[in-house]
Amino acid sequence: VDRLFEALFKYRPLLFQQGDVTFATPWPLALLLLGAGAVAVAAVVSYGGAGGKATPGERTVLATVRLAALGILTFCLLQPTLILSSVVPQRNFVGVLIDDSRSMTLPGEDGRPRSAFLSETFGPEGSPLVDALGERFALRYFRFAGDAGRIPSAEALAYDGTRTDLASALDRAREELSSVPLSGLVVLSDGADNAGRALAEALVPLQAASIPVYTVGLGAEALTPDVQLGRIQLPRTVLQGSALVVDVVVTQRGYRNRSVPVVVEDGGRRLAQDTVRLESEGEPTVARVRFSLEQPGPRRLRFRIPALEDEAVVENNVREVAIDVRARREKILYFEGEPRFEVKFVRRAIADDPNVQVVVLQRTAENKFLRLEVDDAQELGGGFPQTREELFRYRGIILGSVEASFFTHDQLQMLSDFVSQRGGGLLALGGRHAFAEGGYAGTALAEALPVHLEEPETDAARAYVEMDVRPTPAGQSHPAVQLRTDAETPPETWEALPPLSTINRIVRVKPGATTLLRGDTPGGERVVLAHHRYGRGKALAFAVQDSWMWQMHADVPLEDPSHETLWQQLLRWMVEGVPDPVEIVADRERLEPGEPVRLTATVLDSTYVEVNDANVEAVLVSSAGDTLRVPLAWSVDEDGVYTAEARPELPGEWSVAAVATRDGDVMGSAGVHLQVGPSDAEYFDAGRRTSTLQRLASETGGRFYTPADVSRLPEDLAFTGAGITLTEERDLWDMPILFLLLLGLIGAEWGFRRVRGLV
Amino acid sequence: MRPFVSSSVGLVAVSLLGVAVAGSSPRFPAGEGGVRAAAPQEAGGAREIALPPEPHSFFFTRAIYSGWGRGWGGGGGWNRGRGSWATDYPKADRQFLVVLKRLTNLDAYDLENAVRLDDPAVRRYPFLYALEVGRMDLSEAEVHGLRDYLNAGGFLVIDDFWGPQEWANFETQISRVIPGRPIVDLPLDHPLFSTFYDIKEILQVPNVGNGRRGGPTWECWDGCETPVVRGIFDDDGRLMVVINFNTDLGDAWEWAEDPWYPLQYSTFAYQMGVNMIVYAMSH
Repeated sequence: VDRLFEALFKYRPLLFQQGDVTFATPWPLALLLLGAGAVAVAAVVSYGGAGGKATPGERTVLATVRLAALGILTFCLLQPTLILSSVVPQRNFVGVLIDDSRSMTLPGEDGRPRSAFLSETFGPEGSPLVDALGERFALRYFRFAGDAGRIPSAEALAYDGTRTDLASALDRAREELSSVPLSGLVVLSDGADNAGRALAEALVPLQAASIPVYTVGLGAEALTPDVQLGRIQLPRTVLQGSALVVDVVVTQRGYRNRSVPVVVEDGGRRLAQDTVRLESEGEPTVARVRFSLEQPGPRRLRFRIPALEDEAVVENNVREVAIDVRARREKILYFEGEPRFEVKFVRRAIADDPNVQVVVLQRTAENKFLRLEVDDAQELGGGFPQTREELFRYRGIILGSVEASFFTHDQLQMLSDFVSQRGGGLLALGGRHAFAEGGYAGTALAEALPVHLEEPETDAARAYVEMDVRPTPAGQSHPAVQLRTDAETPPETWEALPPLSTINRIVRVKPGATTLLRGDTPGGERVVLAHHRYGRGKALAFAVQDSWMWQMHADVPLEDPSHETLWQQLLRWMVEGVPDPVEIVADRERLEPGEPVRLTATVLDSTYVEVNDANVEAVLVSSAGDTLRVPLAWSVDEDGVYTAEARPELPGEWSVAAVATRDGDVMGSAGVHLQVGPSDAEYFDAGRRTSTLQRLASETGGRFYTPADVSRLPEDLAFTGAGITLTEERDLWDMPILFLLLLGLIGAEWGFRRVRGLV
Repeated sequence: MRPFVSSSVGLVAVSLLGVAVAGSSPRFPAGEGGVRAAAPQEAGGAREIALPPEPHSFFFTRAIYSGWGRGWGGGGGWNRGRGSWATDYPKADRQFLVVLKRLTNLDAYDLENAVRLDDPAVRRYPFLYALEVGRMDLSEAEVHGLRDYLNAGGFLVIDDFWGPQEWANFETQISRVIPGRPIVDLPLDHPLFSTFYDIKEILQVPNVGNGRRGGPTWECWDGCETPVVRGIFDDDGRLMVVINFNTDLGDAWEWAEDPWYPLQYSTFAYQMGVNMIVYAMSH
């Protein structure tokens, strides 16, 4: 379109955009218009008064055509001129920003590395583009990747940057060239920014200083053929032996309908493998991988798809994710208000789980309690905990069939706070004294539950229903409701299980809650298992009273692991991520050497109240033994939150241990692990981001190019109006379009006369 | 030993009907509930045992097993011709349940609940009581039923059998069910004896006659004098069978209201009963 425009209008559209069109005739405009009007009137009169056989309509057409031709001639006589501000040669500067990141080594549209264009254009032999730019401007070169800096020439590029930070590069170039007349910035890049910084931050000062940015997009928008692993979501910490279900998103181009393996490895040991069939081009396909982590400590899991033949980028077939596998024993309090077989079978279900300890407090008679699995004679010696400190020692609570009136108001509030403030997991089991039937409606605990409490059924026999329990779509892949650890529970496994009973009519979940299991009854659907986040913790409602039937019932084969697996998974998930009094997180767990990392510690006391006067220190130890000590300061903005910035230099694994003390007493400690080393982010989503580069150009008044049309860049830069310029006048009367129009009109008149026999 | 012989074809048919009803119907059908055939060897033919009509957390479930003897026949015998499994039935069960509910906050069904060992419905009741096992003679179906019951997590309490001969019979029968598992004495520091009541001593609970008379508490003279509580454990060390040997807890439950029956025995029997149930429901 540009070329056609230029052929017709003599200059490219950009010049018309940058310049102003005026008339250069020395005669007064009014006089000229008057003369033109007189000629026009004469023409009309002569056509109207001439004798001949032409009809009035034909005369009108001929007069119009003639008037149009006269109009064009008049326009030319007015000497139309394009006024441009063109740069003064060699008086202005142009910053040339060249992408020096690893992604420039990836193949471009022609199959060669993207950097090939840069080497040829900016190499020692020179190129027409550089020559043309050099004729008009003083060029200043910058390289950029994760950081940016001046370079004497483009030959200094190594293409080994592990990040691309466009915003920082623009800031740096603008600041460095702020003292010289700057005509614009030229950015040569694939636009694959992965620094996470908003581009708008860098655009505003450029717009304010009227500095246009000209972008040259390198590489193809889509790498083909290629398979790429998407981002992988894993919990930060997990209990040893927990079965994990991880969705791995795979995108591809050029391998449609191929089946590829997704492998999970831990230190070279294969944990799991799943085969995924690749579907539509560019569309994500999800592979679901299941595995359990048996080795405690910080683990770095490697997800990979073996390289396929002819693949454009093989580096994006691998992703590493850090996870902390905890070997400790999570303590869960199961408070049951009456002797029930649930106690026996829940205990049996988790008996083989070394990482879950279910402490049972069972009321067997009025004011008589049975304690099981307690650590010492004092534990729960006074019955249900009376203080927050005592209750908050547990990481999870199972509440059985115990009426609300058993608890004091404070205890009910404590149970609610256990979830919302302590961040613990609460599982409310069904039973004759549970939910609404236990009088919980309107209590603080009812607030914490994920389900609405309906009006209880007064007739016990009518309240009793048996339900075929089935997973909801959300429950099918949810780790908490798996009946098998090695594969997703097939529907027939659920269908083979006997019905469970309830007397608690639970049919609605609260907004934001998720139903994982539903129950089909002749009277409609019930909610069997639902959960939601409540404050810092999570609350679950499991509205059945005899899950043990899945162990005992004659329809369940003796070797069937459904009951054990369900309870183990459910309880492990319930206490997963339950916070300790002292916690520490890093804003990123993978960083480049010397890159800053922000450490944030949360410090609570034993009742989980925020502490602002603690001394918190983080000790960073590298795998080579180097140590960094970083004191964390209270953030002031938020109670109990302490922050600091650290810059580990040495590549490798770093362990961070934070210890909080107050008055010399250790309040707690927490750890996090960092991986310091080059990032592989450059290989992911590495296609050319045309939209980013176009936006960069359009919002600053510049233009986007590809190597194919970049030859126009020098001329376009010359008329930006930025820098030291002089005014240039260019004639427009000789635009080819005017002559074509004139010829066309004269020809049309002649043709019309011939057709109508008026010649 | 008198081998078990099925008395009639009709009886088997009724038995099967009972199994079918139990297997396909809801657990607590409306109204009077389903029916299940009693042990088939009795001269009086099948007895209908009602399924419990109400939902509860606990059913005092008595095992109906095949055996010989003690069935005096007709309506006048102490177990009304049902077989040795029905000794003290149902009065002992009902009286025990009354006291059990008074002592604990257990949601227990008020009445007796007798289930055949080869009935799949037995797996709905993880607590099972069997007595007079000196006359037990399990069919293959019962052996399989009880074995699966125990392996699935069921808890069996044995009571009221005396002397070496009856012990030998029981040992033979139980070894058919769970072969190779040792039967061990339960020491008094076992949690079974402290789950609800702290039991410091194992008393020999006499039958009603001996109890009223006030003489010896044992029922036979050779190897019957010493009461013991023994147990069988599963592979994971969990107690699955409690054996009350040379003692008769059931009679104490049945005759506790009798002013001539000594209180100390009925008290002990109830304490043992409560402990065994609370233990079975929590371990």
